[in-house]
Amino acid sequence: MSSPDSSILPVLRTASETGHSRERLQSEVVALFDQFREPLLRYLASLGLAFADGEEVLQEVFLALFQHLDGGKSRENLRGWLFRVAHNLALKRRYRTRQDFAARAAPGVEDAVVEPGPNPEDQLLRIQTRERLMAVVKALPEQDRECLFLRAEGLRYREIAGILDMSLGAVSLSLARSLARIARSAER
Amino acid sequence: MKFEDSHLSDQQLLLDIETELTTHDEKPVHDHLEKCWKCRTRRQELESAIAGFVRAQQQEFDSKIPPAAGPRAMLKAQLAQVSVSEPNSLLSWHGLDRRFAWALAGTICGLIAVISFVVHPSQTPQRTPVVSVPDSRLTPGAALLLNRQMVCAGTNTKNKAVPVALQRKVFEEYGIVGEPRAYEVDYLITPALGGADDIHNLWPHSYSATVWNARVKDALEDRLREMVCDGSLDLAEAQRDIATNWIAAYKKYFHTDEPLLAHRSGERIQ
Repeated sequence: MSSPDSSILPVLRTASETGHSRERLQSEVVALFDQFREPLLRYLASLGLAFADGEEVLQEVFLALFQHLDGGKSRENLRGWLFRVAHNLALKRRYRTRQDFAARAAPGVEDAVVEPGPNPEDQLLRIQTRERLMAVVKALPEQDRECLFLRAEGLRYREIAGILDMSLGAVSLSLARSLARIARSAER
Repeated sequence: MKFEDSHLSDQQLLLDIETELTTHDEKPVHDHLEKCWKCRTRRQELESAIAGFVRAQQQEFDSKIPPAAGPRAMLKAQLAQVSVSEPNSLLSWHGLDRRFAWALAGTICGLIAVISFVVHPSQTPQRTPVVSVPDSRLTPGAALLLNRQMVCAGTNTKNKAVPVALQRKVFEEYGIVGEPRAYEVDYLITPALGGADDIHNLWPHSYSATVWNARVKDALEDRLREMVCDGSLDLAEAQRDIATNWIAAYKKYFHTDEPLLAHRSGERIQ
């Protein structure tokens, strides 16, 4: 066969480069999955999603991230991007499955995580304290709860404001209100 | 901001804890905290509330989070599949809600079935989808670990016959019922280019329902093998191009937007 048509060489090179960059991108997305899966799953659970549903949402989130990056879109604050997309997809899924945080059964004794402690009384006290605190959290207005859980996952006020479409002042007020309630419950 | 006569609010104390105070507010808040025991105590209460919440949240969720290995493997597989598909395909799973996509596909199939029943009422309605490109979810392509020398050492470039049982499975996967004589169960990556004898590399290719039929693809396979074996094309690139979109690959390697007439009728190029 004669030498290849020189006009197709640039095309071949580009295709090869694209293949390699996509492989790199896959590795990058998997590394981000490793880094953010647990915080995202915890946040989705706080929105009332079962872990199995949360895992499915995360698959969609990270596929969307791949396409976002593959399309050459912004890499600024990927953590905020992940939480925002996860939040939106979780709300859609929750609406579809009619799951409601308030409707979730409170963890029973069989679900309680018993930590190693010096004695059974201490263990029981810890479980009761935790259950009281989580009951206060569950009774918070939904937006306050979302702010609190996002902050607990390390997001800054500006990021939370972006994810929940609130003002910075509203985020700070919401967190102060929630923590005041938690502090009051601890005093009892 | 002056706090000489009044105490700091929970919001101001929290902003201080979180280092979210503006530079303008920082100094007066710190000055007040230095003097005021009550506000310092309240600040500690808020910090204790944060610590209590974090502990409770960890106990509530952390021990219940399932292991990452399964979801991680699934993500890797899905990414590999997305990577070989068209970057901006119309029905990308990200751009279109999956359920909506399935509902849309179902509606279209339903409409086709109704129309064909109305046009040919005497015939038994049968699903005979036109398949020119494989469904990347069912047939992402699979290749053996072979290098160029190993691929080019083989003299028989004809695809070996796919076992009938495997053919049936392929037709089932693609929802083709009845006697599917209009199709060839084809390798996406041909064995002559290192393609594997695996269901993920097989799909039902229409012989004649479209101009982009099995005979046209055979011509592309011959062309790619020639280029790989004469060193003008990398084997991995040939495999990737044919698996990603064989029609686009045909256009690229034959420099044409339509299948050449000789290929449509099944004549091999010399």
